[in-house]
Amino acid sequence: MTNVKILGIVFGTLAIYTWIANAIPQLESVVPIEVSFGADVTPAELVAAGQELYSGGAGCTTCHGLETRAPNLLSDFAGEGTIGQRCGTRVESQDCKAYLHESLINPMAYVVEGGFDPMVFQARVFSGSQIWALVAFLQDQGGAVTVSGADVAAAAEADAASPQGGPAVASLDPLDIMRGNLCLGCHLLDGEGAQTGPPFDGIGSRIDEARIRRSIVDPGAEVAEGYEDQAGAMPPTLADLLTARQLEIVVEFLAGRR
Amino acid sequence: MLDRLHRRQLLSRIAIPAAALAAVALLAVVAEPLAAQGYTPREYGDFPIIGSRAAIWIAAQLHLFFAAFVLGVPMFAVVAEAIGMFTKEERYDKLAKEFTRLLLVSYSATAIWGAVLVFLLITLYPALWGYLAEIFAPSMWVYVGIFFFESFTLYLYYYGWNHWKTGRAKWGHWALGILLNIWGTAVMLIANSWLTYMMSPPAEVTPDTAPSMVRFWSAFANATWMPINVHRLIANVVFGGAIVGAYAAFRFLNAKTDEERAHYDWMGYIGNFIAISALIILPFAGYYLGREIYEFNQQMGTTMMGGFMSWLWVVQAFLIGVLFLAGNYYLWVGMGRIPGAERFTPYTKYMLVVLLIGVAVWATPRNMIASRDEITAMGGQFHPFLGVLGVMSAKNTAVNIMILTTFLSFLLYRRANKKPVVSWAKRGTTVQGALFVIAAGVVLFYGVYGYFVPAIVRIGFSVYQVLAVIATIVGVIGIDMFMMRGAESHGEIRWGQMPARSQYALFILAVTFTWLMGLMGFARSGIRQHWHVFEVFRDTSVDAATPALGYASIVISVCVLIFLAMVAFIFWVGGLAEEPIISNVGSSSKPAPATSGD
Repeated sequence: MTNVKILGIVFGTLAIYTWIANAIPQLESVVPIEVSFGADVTPAELVAAGQELYSGGAGCTTCHGLETRAPNLLSDFAGEGTIGQRCGTRVESQDCKAYLHESLINPMAYVVEGGFDPMVFQARVFSGSQIWALVAFLQDQGGAVTVSGADVAAAAEADAASPQGGPAVASLDPLDIMRGNLCLGCHLLDGEGAQTGPPFDGIGSRIDEARIRRSIVDPGAEVAEGYEDQAGAMPPTLADLLTARQLEIVVEFLAGRR
Repeated sequence: MLDRLHRRQLLSRIAIPAAALAAVALLAVVAEPLAAQGYTPREYGDFPIIGSRAAIWIAAQLHLFFAAFVLGVPMFAVVAEAIGMFTKEERYDKLAKEFTRLLLVSYSATAIWGAVLVFLLITLYPALWGYLAEIFAPSMWVYVGIFFFESFTLYLYYYGWNHWKTGRAKWGHWALGILLNIWGTAVMLIANSWLTYMMSPPAEVTPDTAPSMVRFWSAFANATWMPINVHRLIANVVFGGAIVGAYAAFRFLNAKTDEERAHYDWMGYIGNFIAISALIILPFAGYYLGREIYEFNQQMGTTMMGGFMSWLWVVQAFLIGVLFLAGNYYLWVGMGRIPGAERFTPYTKYMLVVLLIGVAVWATPRNMIASRDEITAMGGQFHPFLGVLGVMSAKNTAVNIMILTTFLSFLLYRRANKKPVVSWAKRGTTVQGALFVIAAGVVLFYGVYGYFVPAIVRIGFSVYQVLAVIATIVGVIGIDMFMMRGAESHGEIRWGQMPARSQYALFILAVTFTWLMGLMGFARSGIRQHWHVFEVFRDTSVDAATPALGYASIVISVCVLIFLAMVAFIFWVGGLAEEPIISNVGSSSKPAPATSGD
């Protein structure tokens, strides 16, 4: 009888722990996928790939999942429905597909009013196929998917003709470089920009030149004090969009902001 | 005769190079077609039914369970032997010997699971194994060598126990115990370097760096190596103590005689004492490890604490709460067999309330992924009230107060049957009480003040809180040792007169420690996400995604069950070979020396 009780204690304890671990929300760490499609791609394939990107590698939920930085795209917003329902009416001259595509290619174009942060999606680090997959997924949220294999094939051709990489802007003016790379989408400088991340005003007196450079090249390495909640919000791909000279110009400029 | 010898020598001179040439030729014949076919070694293998990930997970976890046990137990075996030598109390020597006997039979299981792990790595993850072997080959050879020495030192230590029992020989025997610990620690340090390299490879190593170009020492002494060493060293002691406690509880519950019951009651107390004492300092080591992970890569730290693993820490807090509660409960019940302890009994309910509040605060989450409905229900990303309790200030305060409370339980247990006779006893007790109050005040002050300062300043406050608690523990023990010299006794401890429910608490402790180890193993390994070696060697297998906690908990529970079943079997077999080592610690029928908690 004693040994039965011992077994009961052991199994009971294990059962309780296992039950608790299964009762809480189940979150998996997904693997970011690399999308490559041909002209024969189906809408379902695009939507599935777009969903993986939206929830994973594209980092959309960093802002759109919290609802504090950007509207939630998967639920109703201001009584206009989900993104697939409201995308066609956002801009008069554009249908849903064109609007969503433009929103991703040129993220600052249609920032929703209402105190939200500017959009900092780094479209240049994604392939044309990936952008179209995201558009298809967003359309599928309450609307009809109109992205076709022809769109994907055209994007692939464009990618081949103009491979990714290289700077986002050609300018060597620090302000142009920062505006062109959406830095002011999160950082405040002389009253311009937003305050999601640490302000650029006085940054040179807070951290040294080496740390400014490191923060751009590897934003995950260190997080500014008081901004721990924003960890992971800064795109790690930023350095890919700057030339070495541009990077040094920006670093020198910021180090001088005392 | 000489001719024959010459002929043989000549033959061997010819035969050996000829055989070597033949082997090379054979290799060329075999290798040529393979190369021509474009043969490349596979990256992953398949394991039937449960899959490769679960197979390697179970093998690694079981190897770790046994390894932790066989590394933890020698530490307190050698300490118990030393206490026996210095105090001339034979019961400690016998206890040390019984610990070592448990060790002896667990060694082969550790080695077997180690071999299973290596074979599974070779067959299921050959590319990763090849990569790691190329970097760490020299340390793997040293590892095997030390393991060999460790095993034979253990044989000498155990089988020489009765032979080298007195005089200088006893010192030599004790030195063997120390040597055993040195070998064991060295083995652990080497193995830790392999797994921590996977977590935190040096900054200069990139996906394009060939393994042959990775500098050995840089890979070996990587960013999280030392924190893991410290954390595992302490955790092994906790784990060993808990398993010994469960073993003693099993023996106690099945004891046939009062002497046997008294011995295993005492052994269970010692196991619990060791486990809880080491558990008290384990959170500090965990904090050091967490800080180093953040230092290595902020994103990895955020993934660990605020990403998909955020709920894991709520479960961890619950488990640690169970450990603190079960450990204290065992002590409180144990006070029932100590004459004079009744004067402290009324305080236990207040200590229970403090512990429960501490657990509740510690288990309060702050930063976690929530659905839209959940955010709406909470009124924002953080809960308006509970969110305040979820920050590190509140958690550090809670855990430090829980540690102080547990230490108070030990102190009361230790003093239960003693009456100090020194003239300054009253002042000494007042100073001890003041130290507790000051420590609690410091912890609470910095806990509250932490809400009004930036994060970087707040992090520094935890050091003051920890220092206040450690200073109190050291100061109070110091005073107590002097104050209790020659103390009068309220009566002997009635070893063996312990309710059965206290022994079930020891089982809960052992199961919870084991499960917690599995959970923390999942957390440490899981924060690499889809990388075998973080941001260097990508996991491209079908199991690259890190599973959710529900699946992990099932694997952990299976591992714990297999481990406990094997341990039970091993201990049973060990018991068949030899009569139990029963020391005279006193029992209900045979009075024990007037001592408690030392």
